[in-house]
Amino acid sequence: MSDARSDILARIRHASACLPEAEVKLALSRLGAGPSATLPHPDLAIAFLTNVLKNQGTVDIASSRSEAVVVIGKYLYEHHRSRKLVAGNDARLAALPWRDAGLLPRFGEAESGELAALSYAVAGIAETGSIVTCTGRNNPAANNLLPEDHIVIVALDDLVERYDEALDALQSQRPRGINVISGPSGTADIAMHMVHGAHGPRRWHVVLLGHVPADCVEHAQALAGLANERQAEPLPDA
Amino acid sequence: MYWSFDLTPTQGVVDHLAATVILALSATPLRLVQQKDSQPRMSESQQPQASQRFQVHLFVTCLADLFRPSIAFNSIALLEEAGCDVTVPMSQTCCGQPGYNTGDYEATVPLAKQFIATFEGADYVVAPSGSCAGMITHHYPRILEGQWHERALDLAARTFELTQFLSEVAGLKRPIEQRSDVGSVTYHDSCAGLRELGIQTQPRHLLNTLCRADLKEMERTDVCCGFGGTFCAKMPELSANMASDKLEMAQASGATTLAGGDLGCLMNLAGRAKREGIEIEVRHIAELLAGDLATPAIGESSQS
Amino acid sequence: MTISSNDFIAQSVVALQEAERLRTRKELGKHMPALRTRAVEEFGDFEGLREHVANVRQHALDNLDYYLPQFEQQAIDNGNQVHYARTGAELNDLVLSICQRHNARKIAKGKSMVTEETELNHHLERAGLEVVETDLGEYIIQQAGETPSHIVGPALHKPEAEIRELFLDKHPLGPRELEDPPAMVEEARSVLREHFLSADVGIVGANALIAENGYSLLVTNEGNGDLCANLPNILIVCTTMERVLPRARDAAALVRLLTRSTTGQSISCYTSYYSGPRRQDDIDGPLETHYVLLDNKRSDILASDYKDMLQCMRCGACLNHCPVYIGAGGHAYGSVYQGPMGSVLTPLLSSLEESHTLPSACTTCGRCAEVCPANIPLPDLLRDLRHDESRSKLGSGRWRVSMKLHAWVSQHPRLYQLLTGLGVRTLHRMGRRRGGFSRLPFASGWTQERDFPAPQKDTFMHQYRKQAAQDE
Repeated sequence: MSDARSDILARIRHASACLPEAEVKLALSRLGAGPSATLPHPDLAIAFLTNVLKNQGTVDIASSRSEAVVVIGKYLYEHHRSRKLVAGNDARLAALPWRDAGLLPRFGEAESGELAALSYAVAGIAETGSIVTCTGRNNPAANNLLPEDHIVIVALDDLVERYDEALDALQSQRPRGINVISGPSGTADIAMHMVHGAHGPRRWHVVLLGHVPADCVEHAQALAGLANERQAEPLPDA
Repeated sequence: MYWSFDLTPTQGVVDHLAATVILALSATPLRLVQQKDSQPRMSESQQPQASQRFQVHLFVTCLADLFRPSIAFNSIALLEEAGCDVTVPMSQTCCGQPGYNTGDYEATVPLAKQFIATFEGADYVVAPSGSCAGMITHHYPRILEGQWHERALDLAARTFELTQFLSEVAGLKRPIEQRSDVGSVTYHDSCAGLRELGIQTQPRHLLNTLCRADLKEMERTDVCCGFGGTFCAKMPELSANMASDKLEMAQASGATTLAGGDLGCLMNLAGRAKREGIEIEVRHIAELLAGDLATPAIGESSQS
Repeated sequence: MTISSNDFIAQSVVALQEAERLRTRKELGKHMPALRTRAVEEFGDFEGLREHVANVRQHALDNLDYYLPQFEQQAIDNGNQVHYARTGAELNDLVLSICQRHNARKIAKGKSMVTEETELNHHLERAGLEVVETDLGEYIIQQAGETPSHIVGPALHKPEAEIRELFLDKHPLGPRELEDPPAMVEEARSVLREHFLSADVGIVGANALIAENGYSLLVTNEGNGDLCANLPNILIVCTTMERVLPRARDAAALVRLLTRSTTGQSISCYTSYYSGPRRQDDIDGPLETHYVLLDNKRSDILASDYKDMLQCMRCGACLNHCPVYIGAGGHAYGSVYQGPMGSVLTPLLSSLEESHTLPSACTTCGRCAEVCPANIPLPDLLRDLRHDESRSKLGSGRWRVSMKLHAWVSQHPRLYQLLTGLGVRTLHRMGRRRGGFSRLPFASGWTQERDFPAPQKDTFMHQYRKQAAQDE
């Protein structure tokens, strides 16, 4: 648009090879994707849960949608003695059997001071222990960030091994924003002391939905070097 | 406890030259190389026969030449034990690191060419210093062009640091005579040797097999001692802070001797130890491997 | 208080005397390398990853004439406005004019080294705007009126007690304890939350720009970047053109390297990709989004022998591993970029005249190059800058002449051996009894801090020659 643009582009052309497009594309295609991280366990679910725990998250597993709602209810009760929850306008969330846990989220955008938000991830990444959400109507960005607790459901079928797989899968959809979340908000800016809840959620809880062996959480805890901490606490019934 | 003095003007001239050489020498230039498998790889079949002895030209290095000839004499002894015929080219001076590391490439090029011309007739060039060997293997090719670049690469392939040569090429294994007890030793990995040449296991392996040294590793052996050639004189406070940290870790290891493969680092550490009143013997690895404990440690009095 | 980069030595001496801060830096120098090492070991083929990303970035820089326009077109298609700035001043003016067009009063800012480089905050504040840094470290130094001491942890130099005093002073919240870091973080969280909710404009940086889809990548652990990028009505992404990567998967590869090198994490808590403004059905997000792409001499660097430096991903690993940085502290560098990467970048972005001391602030130990995720040969670049310094005769004349003299004498072996023999024998005679010298004229740089070990009785060459003569 401006002189600055043409100046800068001219200077770059001067310093570049100025190859024809076909040659650039060919050179790029030869570069491949590069190695990804070694998984802590060959089983995708166990690897994913292990890395979530390493990222200071907490985990639950649920073999059915009904069970997922129940564990979320327990989580809310345990941390907030509350049943309040906000969730985006995601059809998958709306369709959960909320009555089974006596819960009913408010669907929409989270506000400051909200206790907990629930997201339904579009993918879970085993390599990094991350969940992926896309900003937009289904999951406003504020829902990831403003509440005290961020609870995320990720379906076993949506787990991928590699980080770049998750991004490549979203290429055609072109969402407004892609949020790869891998832990509660954290900072060590004061005296290198790690504190959670810097700006965003103080806690990050991942519910893996699908048929996985019941002992996979214990397995993941062992691999993450954790004793049975939160998961071992007796929870009141919802 | 050390003394101070002022030199007369005539001594000053000599000393200025010496000081220039002293302070400028043996910096630690670097270019990252992949850590190679540095385990000694010497098979029985490669053991030298009487008929095929290694023809080695020793690059004394100017610091050893000037300040600690015992390093060079002990290097010769070790190489001969390992089945080498050792030649010392008498026209050798300095590899040019001081100028190179201060950025004076123009002054370095003639020294590099002189070095190549002096040494390229050798089968092997061995130097008791990782930074000097690294200068030849990594940095000569970087500053030389054309035919000289090719000659530099050719020489680089035949140039080794002492412990690297002894363990990887000559396969020095058995103590030929009973060594004296070197006691507990902690080894400082000098930066250029470690990162340019991958020297880490070789000196330790030799200390174990040749002298049965009681090796006591200090924390973070890979951190610089603060010598850095001219750095130590240009930024003395920072350099001393690094040397003090290194000495603290060496002391914490419980070893009575601090060994290394580069005299520049060792002079820096020995000098700082003296200044701070830290009791630790600082020695070059060639002296320990050859069992030469009669020579006073670096910075110690040579008159009892 | 502006520190000149050429005051490095004097400033480092001051920093060495600040015992508590020095202790903190030494902790950093122990702790961060250990975290990185563990992360690298757990990864697996880290060398392969490093090489892959270096190749990708090399390809991107070699073909920036292709990828930058591609990114621009994609970003425009995504609904962004793309601006170019040749200099820091142009970037500052562009940002200010966007803010003024929207009658903005408050700006929430994420961590951005580019805007530190251009001193954007001062520019906006002079025009009457309120700028709030939201990264906790940046917020702390903004409140304290200081500059960053570390490109990743800008307030790492400040001890806990100083931050407590600062918050008690700056936040009008009545008497309270703020007994520990969690309490301080809690207070900053509530203060900054209000700013996020009331800001008119968000400004963030970018860790990468993706050419194939026009997205930008931002990594944070606090989540402040996402809040800046999503809550205010206007978003401005300020970054530099060499951040362009060809593909989304390249950004993933970059993140794998970056966070392991920075904090030893396998990924940061919030790794976000932004495409542009709010869409039709969205219930949040900015209404208007801008990219401001800064050159500020980077196109010169691209055409120079220092091109590799453009691969720097600002991870801070070279600072954490540099014993000179640990000793000197970040402020001594007199630049927003510190440590080895700063000592290369500062002279290139300003001038060698203004910062020729920095390339010498290095022992060439090579630990930085060993850990640099971008495989930048930092010691070689620093030495090359010394070469430039030497050619333009900027540094100390005494050193330059000494080096010339040394090289000349070394080219004359007989003279060399005569002079060194004289010097060594003299020094030996004077030093043998004590083993060393506590003071030597012309060597005060050495003897100021350490004794000089006395040489053995004669040079090796003389002794060897004599021995050979006797043997015959």
